Amino acid sequence: MYPFGKGIRRHVPFALLMIPTLPYVIFAFGPSLVTVVFSFTNATCIPGIPWEFVGWENYRTFFTASNAGDNLRAVGRSLYFAFTVVLIQNAVALFVAIILNRRLKGDVFYRAVLFLPVVLGVTVNGLIWQLMFNPMGGPVQRILNLFGKSSNFFGSYDIAFELIIFVQIWMYMGYSMTIFLAGLQAIPSDLYEAAYIDGARGWSAFRHITLPLIAPATTVNMLMAIIGALQTFDIIYVLTGGKFETSTLAWNVYAAAFGSGSADFGFASAVGMIQFVFVFIFAVAAMVFFRRREVEI
Amino acid sequence: MKEAKSVVIGRYAVVLLLMVLYLFPLFYLFNVSMKTQFEYLANPVALAEQIRLSNFAEAWKLGRFGQYLWNSVLYTTVSTLLSLLLSIVAAFPISRGYVRFSSFFYTFFLISLFLPNALIPQFALMNELGLYNTQIGYILLRTGGTGIVFMLMVGYVKSISRELDEAAAMDGCGYVRYLFTILIPLTKPVLATGVILLAIGTWNDIILPVIYLSDPNLAPVTKGLFAFRGLYLNNWPLLASGIIIVAAPLIVLYAFLQKYIVNGALAGAFKA
Repeated sequence: MYPFGKGIRRHVPFALLMIPTLPYVIFAFGPSLVTVVFSFTNATCIPGIPWEFVGWENYRTFFTASNAGDNLRAVGRSLYFAFTVVLIQNAVALFVAIILNRRLKGDVFYRAVLFLPVVLGVTVNGLIWQLMFNPMGGPVQRILNLFGKSSNFFGSYDIAFELIIFVQIWMYMGYSMTIFLAGLQAIPSDLYEAAYIDGARGWSAFRHITLPLIAPATTVNMLMAIIGALQTFDIIYVLTGGKFETSTLAWNVYAAAFGSGSADFGFASAVGMIQFVFVFIFAVAAMVFFRRREVEI
Repeated sequence: MKEAKSVVIGRYAVVLLLMVLYLFPLFYLFNVSMKTQFEYLANPVALAEQIRLSNFAEAWKLGRFGQYLWNSVLYTTVSTLLSLLLSIVAAFPISRGYVRFSSFFYTFFLISLFLPNALIPQFALMNELGLYNTQIGYILLRTGGTGIVFMLMVGYVKSISRELDEAAAMDGCGYVRYLFTILIPLTKPVLATGVILLAIGTWNDIILPVIYLSDPNLAPVTKGLFAFRGLYLNNWPLLASGIIIVAAPLIVLYAFLQKYIVNGALAGAFKA
């Protein structure tokens, strides 16, 4: 029942709802759908140049052109990035959340420090790690030198991508941890006491109480991390600019459309659609998988 | 439940390791920023000889950080406030079912999290509208009432009693007045979360400014700092000072706001 009057006044909520709806349709939802259309054209960003439909040409180019190997490696790296980031970030975050869920001296401070990179943002964090991984006598290089080794870090074809993954996890671990902590703090402590009396402690208490009861937090974390990891490329922009074998699908969308000397909107949209297929499959799979594990207290 | 002493020591050991991993980079950054270029090149990792602040003055002069900071403040404040307003205008009637098809609208608004990347048609549209390289255009792109804050708000409004709507209406309070004077103050926890999530998102955004704000006068701190890096990559003490100029306001602000972020708002909102 709507309590705020009848007649014309009944339509006020709907009229107000249109204020957020219109910009959403025009600037987000609409363009998102138009990406599908664009992906079948040869549009460029240069105004005045006519464009036409080219069928599946852009998709064919992606999979069969002379540089198709690069494209497929980018697909592989996208998946590698998503899996490693999602799994390691959440596993570490859960572990740290469990440790910090107990009273420790200075626990508020520790939590604040772990969340700090989220506040500082990708540009500041990226530059800080470039300083840390500076090949010219930076601290990490110094440590490697002790073992008679050295590396170009973000300028190395071998490990640049792994280092990007490391920085990404370092940056957002605190975010996942905060959500896990919220889930942990919602678990009534008498459950653990009862389990303790029944002889369940350590691993079995974790397995049979903690894990099922933080499942909603896990769902949120996993879903956000999967979508985020498959779509993010700002960290790549800051750290390597896609060089040294660090490009992913998300990066390639950006590079094909806005990279230097490139303005192939049709092809970029096709890459965007391929990226979307992966996001969709993994998001749905994660939702089904983790929702089933949730239980009510 | 008492814990074994070894477990407690283990906990502190892990915490110590984490603190080194998270605080050492900041400490090192600060140390580098106080060195002369000569001192840095001679030995990057040695402690700075003295507290020296001249690099900060130099970086401030060369980097136009005042301009960048002002731009960031403008973009962040305006887009955050507008987004919050739009979120609540959308979330209240949908949460209550005061509009038809409210569950359709709910799904419709959230589906954009999954949909194909809108970046390219969006750029073509902004170009057509003459909004490329304008402050208004960028703010418009960062403003919206349909994302994660909308979702949190819908959940939170459900926890506010419907009888309150009815009582207010009985006293002759209209929809708009109710929404703005009674409901909004009640949603403070979500508003706090929303401010934090939205402000962090816009303040740290680098991709959209790179695409849409090619005019250096319009650059926010992220883009400005990145351009500064391009110019002074061979002068790390200066660059480190620039990074600190950008990071320091955030760290100070965070010191005041962190209890809302870490203990309450962000955490609490996800429970709803």
